[in-house]
Amino acid sequence: MLARHAESLFWTGRYIERAESTARMLDVTYHGLLEASQHEAEPAWRELLSVLRLDREFVARGGGASAASVGSFLVLDEENGGSIISAVERARDNVRSVRELVPTELWEALNTFYLDLRSRNLRRDLEQQPYDLYQMVKQRCQLIAGVANETMPREDGWRFLQVGWMLERAEMSCRLLEVRYASHETSIDFHHWQSTLRSASALQAYRKTHRSSQDPSDVVGFLLLSRTFPRSVLFSLRRAEVELSRLRGADAPMTRPERLLGRLRADLEYTDVRDISISGLHGFLDRLQHSVRQVAEAVALQYFRNSQELALTALDFRPPG
Amino acid sequence: MKSPRSSVGGHGSGNDVRVVPMGLFDDYDSGGFFDEVFEADGTVRPHYRSLVKRFAELTPEELARRVRLRDESFRTQGITFTVYGEDEGVERTFPMDLFPRVIPSDEWSTIRAGLAQRVTALNSFLEDLYVGERAVLRDGLVPNWLITSSTGFRREAFGVPVPGNARCLVSGSDLVRDSDGTYRVLEDNLRNPSGISYVLENRASMTRVFPGAFGDLSVCSVSHYGSMLLDALRHVAPPAAGDDPTVVVLTPGVYNSAYFEHVFLARQMGVELVEGRDLVVDEHVVSMRTTRGLQRVDVIYRRIDDDFLDPVVFNPQSSLGVPGLMAAARAGNVTVANAVGNGVADDKAVYAYVPELIRYYLGEEPILPNVDTYLLWDTDQRAAVLERLDEVVVKPVAESGGYGICIGPAASDEELEIVRKRIVADPRNYIAQEIVGLSRHPTLSNDRFVGRHIDLRPFVLTGEQVEVVPGGLTRVALREGSLVVNSSQGGGSKDTWVLSAGDEDDDEVEG
Repeated sequence: MLARHAESLFWTGRYIERAESTARMLDVTYHGLLEASQHEAEPAWRELLSVLRLDREFVARGGGASAASVGSFLVLDEENGGSIISAVERARDNVRSVRELVPTELWEALNTFYLDLRSRNLRRDLEQQPYDLYQMVKQRCQLIAGVANETMPREDGWRFLQVGWMLERAEMSCRLLEVRYASHETSIDFHHWQSTLRSASALQAYRKTHRSSQDPSDVVGFLLLSRTFPRSVLFSLRRAEVELSRLRGADAPMTRPERLLGRLRADLEYTDVRDISISGLHGFLDRLQHSVRQVAEAVALQYFRNSQELALTALDFRPPG
Repeated sequence: MKSPRSSVGGHGSGNDVRVVPMGLFDDYDSGGFFDEVFEADGTVRPHYRSLVKRFAELTPEELARRVRLRDESFRTQGITFTVYGEDEGVERTFPMDLFPRVIPSDEWSTIRAGLAQRVTALNSFLEDLYVGERAVLRDGLVPNWLITSSTGFRREAFGVPVPGNARCLVSGSDLVRDSDGTYRVLEDNLRNPSGISYVLENRASMTRVFPGAFGDLSVCSVSHYGSMLLDALRHVAPPAAGDDPTVVVLTPGVYNSAYFEHVFLARQMGVELVEGRDLVVDEHVVSMRTTRGLQRVDVIYRRIDDDFLDPVVFNPQSSLGVPGLMAAARAGNVTVANAVGNGVADDKAVYAYVPELIRYYLGEEPILPNVDTYLLWDTDQRAAVLERLDEVVVKPVAESGGYGICIGPAASDEELEIVRKRIVADPRNYIAQEIVGLSRHPTLSNDRFVGRHIDLRPFVLTGEQVEVVPGGLTRVALREGSLVVNSSQGGGSKDTWVLSAGDEDDDEVEG
């Protein structure tokens, strides 16, 4: 398939997952802070921004970090490329450019989501019923995932969509853990961890596996290493790995993104969660995200930009600016 | 259902065809124009009898049901066009009238032969001009300065080959019928004629909405257009491409108003729809970037205008095109269809010479006449036209889509004065034509039929032979009295049924 089409589908997956995960993180932060005081809240919101790598952009806007300011920055700020509305718009633009390749139902699900977001009074929703708003974003993203799953032929287009989707999810699931870890470094109360699990739709599954364990490393282990829970980092990487291997012909040699991803997945599989101290979690998650990004870059180099073309675009005839 | 659908009623010799049809045709008035369906005395023309009978029998409920069926069919097929400047995400369905236009086979034979002749001559003309000896200029048939001053003329196309005398691989000349019913060529579109997707989609809708009506008549199929086009494109591949050339459709992208058609054509042919950024040129070879690396491209059916095709030789600001494409085409490594520079031959001032070109290149008399045209750069013709501006149509030579036209009788004195000044300032840029009455056709308007002016855009493909798609886009001026049928100017369309020879309704009943 055309490299541009593959790249559009890859980014469609990434942006939809980004919208959903951002809603989940806002949700967990917002509800975790409901009973907190103002001086606890501000650092927590700043930490969310820093986990999302959006703290500098936010600071550039001026003003303090509060539920209202960070909420509107991350939900409805069109200037912010990392906001939910921007992610949905970019996902829509990407699908639009490959409309002839995707099932009509997929386009419609995404377009309706976008148009609904545009027609809502998001600012009022944020003030009055943030829970409903985040719920709606999650459900619409899940609807899109479901429609894609039920209508797309299992060909290269599907594979690129899934690879983008799953790499983004792996990264965002790391960030979800970072938010919790960072905002309650001093007082890790188990009900906070419970809300993290809930925001990842993982509470029920966690209880089935770990019963009533209140050990934080069980929670971290579950969200990182579960082989059965679809939003865990390991599960997402395994799905991405399967789709990557199907992109390659059976007899062809393994590609660079596959090798990087395979190594990363194996490392995770052989990790004992007891070896990750809670104090070392931050660094661990950081390294993990870095490796996921390297895989994504390798995918881009392998499939979206081949070497010959790189050599050509390196010749930039235009003066800067 | 009161009437038995299985009967061959409506055109048996026993029927009195002079009975004025009832129902939807009540008060139908042909208004003194040539009417496609009714003769001057109200008789239904033979090839329309079965259709008129069907429509006359429709109850309002039944008609409403068919209208719903049509709208549904267009929506589910996703046939929409985007109107520039409206809210994003808003797409409209293209208005197709339920009453199809029917062309009997004898009329079609004339059209087909006339268009094939015309396109062959135009191809020879462009070939002569860009890669030949420019004999037509040497022999003084067309003034040299007229060619080089045409906005469609592209010096950059000199020496760029297209195999098989097929510089106009797809052309779409607009035909009108005058008050005698004579088909005349109003203009030629040799650059990027659009509309074929509507021809195919209109037909697909009509077969759903009025399946029975097709049974009464023997209508030529248009559904093989995709394979006709692909065959023609493969035929013009460079010799080095071998037996299995790679063809792509090149689109400006999703924001182009005809994007739907680009998608449609790529799908019909089963080829990739690419944008400029998907193509790279290296060592004068064009390739597309795929997930498996670069894949060589042999034929590009481009739907991008000349000016945006290659920033190296044309508009350097264009990011839609492919740098180096013209050099690759000149080297004979890729064929660009339609060829660059075709606009010189559909320049309306050059249009006036087409009958002469047919005689010159083919040694034949033109089968389809032009509309009477005056060249305003010519002192005598200009003087004569300026005397009677209020009686003629004035058109800019390089515009399409109905833009910039001044219809004399409908224009105010101020408008005529502006046009006069423009002509005097730049006479090369305008032509004048006698007003053609434009035939009319019953068209549904609020539950009854009214006469509306129509034209016809058939599509001609030049591959191994010159072929005319049996059908075409019949465009309808939806506003009462309007002579402008362009979709950008509020026009609609009709499915166009060409009847195949031998089978049609030929039981002559003299009225």
